[in-house]
Amino acid sequence: MAKKMTIALFSGSVDKLTAAGVILGGAAAEDMDVDIFVLLQAAFAFKKENALANDRVAEITDKKDEFLASLERLQAPHWTEAFRNAKEMTNVRIHICGFAGKVWHGEKLDDFIDLADDIVGIGEYIDAAENADINLFI
Amino acid sequence: MTTEELTNIQVDKTVDARGTSCPGPLLAAKKAIGEIEPGQVMEILSSDEGTKRDIPKWCTKKGYEYLGTVEESGYFRIYMKK
Repeated sequence: MAKKMTIALFSGSVDKLTAAGVILGGAAAEDMDVDIFVLLQAAFAFKKENALANDRVAEITDKKDEFLASLERLQAPHWTEAFRNAKEMTNVRIHICGFAGKVWHGEKLDDFIDLADDIVGIGEYIDAAENADINLFI
Repeated sequence: MTTEELTNIQVDKTVDARGTSCPGPLLAAKKAIGEIEPGQVMEILSSDEGTKRDIPKWCTKKGYEYLGTVEESGYFRIYMKK
């Protein structure tokens, strides 16, 4: 039976989303089942008009340009691509928190990039996290 | 296996993931594993230091056989059997 991972994805910044993408890659290599719950700031990043912007870095912000240049030099995929790769390789479901969506005026699934599978309430996250082998807050 | 044995082994599939960073080589190996049969040998070329440890761990978890690693100039050849 596949191991289960849940991620409470709060951050909407490129640095943390990139880290989440790397972790997702590791989970995909091991065929884990992953449920990602997109909370507050992450829901902003998942909106169609915001997903590809690289203007949000949460940490070491004075080195943002160096960080972004390094991602390019290292041929690191954009976080949306890393998430998409993981979805193609293993069972990854991405749930938008209904409250978070409303905060950013996203009421419908169509307001978000096509990586998102559905819009859910927080009870879904609690249920999934209770049954997960690994639970992360990013 | 010794370095000599590894360099002489018959390789059924080569995955060249040089230039990509973690988890690129691991994911390239994962994608390619479906293209070989049980008992066949795959080598992964990686310039990412972390791959040297990721592939053996992945093999253990997935039931594949890690055969060994040969260090080349600027990259590694990592051998495994499905």
